[in-house]
Amino acid sequence: MSTEGEPTVLLVDDEAQIRRMLRFTLEEAGYGVREAESGRIALGEIALTVPDLVILDLGLPDTSGTEVLRALRKLSSIPVLILSVRGGEQDKIEALETGADDYLTKPFGGGELVARVRALLRRVHTAEAAEKVFTFGPIQVDLDRSRVLREGRPVKLTSLEFKLLRMLVLHRDKVLTHQHILGELWGPKATSKTNYLRIYMMQLRRKLGEEVDSAGHFQTESGVGYRFVSDPMMGC
Amino acid sequence: MVMRDVRLAYAPARGAHADYVKVLGVIGLVTLCGWFSPLSYLALGYIYLLAVIALSTRVSRWPALWGAVLSSVAWNFFFVPPRLSFSVLRFDESLLLATYFVVALIGSQLTALRFAADRAKLLAESERMHQTLLDSVAHELKTPIAVFRTAVEQLGTGDPAKRAQLMEEVRIAVQRLDTVVANLLSQTRLESGVLKPRLDWCDGRDLVAAARRAVGRRLDNHPLTVDIPADFPIILADAALMEQAIAHLLLNAAVHTPPEVPVRVSAGSSAESNSVFISVSDNGPGIPMDLRGRLFEKFSRGPNARVGGLGLGLSIVRGFMNAQGGDVLVESPPGGGARFILSLPLKAPEGVPHG
Repeated sequence: MSTEGEPTVLLVDDEAQIRRMLRFTLEEAGYGVREAESGRIALGEIALTVPDLVILDLGLPDTSGTEVLRALRKLSSIPVLILSVRGGEQDKIEALETGADDYLTKPFGGGELVARVRALLRRVHTAEAAEKVFTFGPIQVDLDRSRVLREGRPVKLTSLEFKLLRMLVLHRDKVLTHQHILGELWGPKATSKTNYLRIYMMQLRRKLGEEVDSAGHFQTESGVGYRFVSDPMMGC
Repeated sequence: MVMRDVRLAYAPARGAHADYVKVLGVIGLVTLCGWFSPLSYLALGYIYLLAVIALSTRVSRWPALWGAVLSSVAWNFFFVPPRLSFSVLRFDESLLLATYFVVALIGSQLTALRFAADRAKLLAESERMHQTLLDSVAHELKTPIAVFRTAVEQLGTGDPAKRAQLMEEVRIAVQRLDTVVANLLSQTRLESGVLKPRLDWCDGRDLVAAARRAVGRRLDNHPLTVDIPADFPIILADAALMEQAIAHLLLNAAVHTPPEVPVRVSAGSSAESNSVFISVSDNGPGIPMDLRGRLFEKFSRGPNARVGGLGLGLSIVRGFMNAQGGDVLVESPPGGGARFILSLPLKAPEGVPHG
């Protein structure tokens, strides 16, 4: 992984024009760009030098995007942003479960893309720093002491509610699938009990307060999962 | 895709069987009535002839000939003296029987010609409809392309202010093209039957928030209030379809009402009708009476629909709701305003373990 200079993004998409436009957008935003037009070439590129981030189209001609992802994950844990189409919720879930970090639904805007790339790269760095206290809006989450403050006053959360909040905050700016959250909180047998998750999300939002909710920190990805957005205004 | 609804009448394969039954019924009825009537066997022979004529104007050739055979056998067996036995016919009686066959042939030939003409007319009509739809689809796709082309040509020459204006035009055109293509795809998915709703527990607040996010800046000119009661239950639905349905309704409210008209989303449940609902209402001009009946039909558009569009939005909303076992209704009181109500069956989730 390159540690100095501009971060490198590997673009994997079979449409040459899409690659050109994404390259333009990303270079404009200060990223180095490499391209691959198929899954096989992409894996070769990654074996050569590992980029800082991969943007992967799910609809590749030679191998399925998920297969590329699986092979990639054996090599590296770099962030992967998936490009998918509307209506492909199952594909998105599969990709996220295979190890993708986030996805964008085509057609998307350049601003949106850069915002997601930036958030994913930032996450890599903050994860290394491993901060103990995380603040958003009026809320302070003390991860070490399992404590939540709202405008300085403690908020009473049950242990599962805290676990849920902790998970979302630790994986901020990343989509967590329903299955994943359910498995972590209620065990592998509960991965289809979305109703548990909905009820706990409702309770958590209610306890954290209206302003947190309306600011859009907890974003739902319909049919896929939740994403905790640290900076909801970015990329809008 | 758009032709699926045009059905051709007089489908020959399916009609043939019914035609034979019809013929059998009519001849049987004539025979029964004849048996109990005081008419002479010759008069009854002419009544059979009338029956054959009537049948041959309604059925195709083979059933008509079958009618002629049935009539001649029945007349001979039941009525030509001696009754209840086959008799050797005199010349004039045979002549009457022969006319049955001639009439059946001529009549059914004429009927076939009429069917063909009807079918040709129907085909022409569906072709015209097809053409109209094709024209409007082409129009919706070509308009943004024309904008792109002009903008690209002008980008190099204009001053900064003009360039900003061009960029705004391109932005609008992209939005429009995006909507048209997304709607055409949704409608095609609905009609081709590949749409398989995945029902799962959803929070109504999540659905509304996701729809609001999807609509983005297009709702900026309309203040939005969301009123979902604290006890609104979680609902069993396909989140992606619900998000799109709500987004369509929000967008509709934004497009069909003047700027600054507030839009309101509310939700509730009713134990009596055993359903939950999410509704989108506005205080705009309302929906004209004559449009309500076909509001949810595809390609139906309001008389003052301002910008383009194919009139697919509400048809998609209905398709998505029906696919989930729900429905969409509209209320538009005489005083103005419109309220679209998405309803789903009320289902209670099992309890959640505490911890």
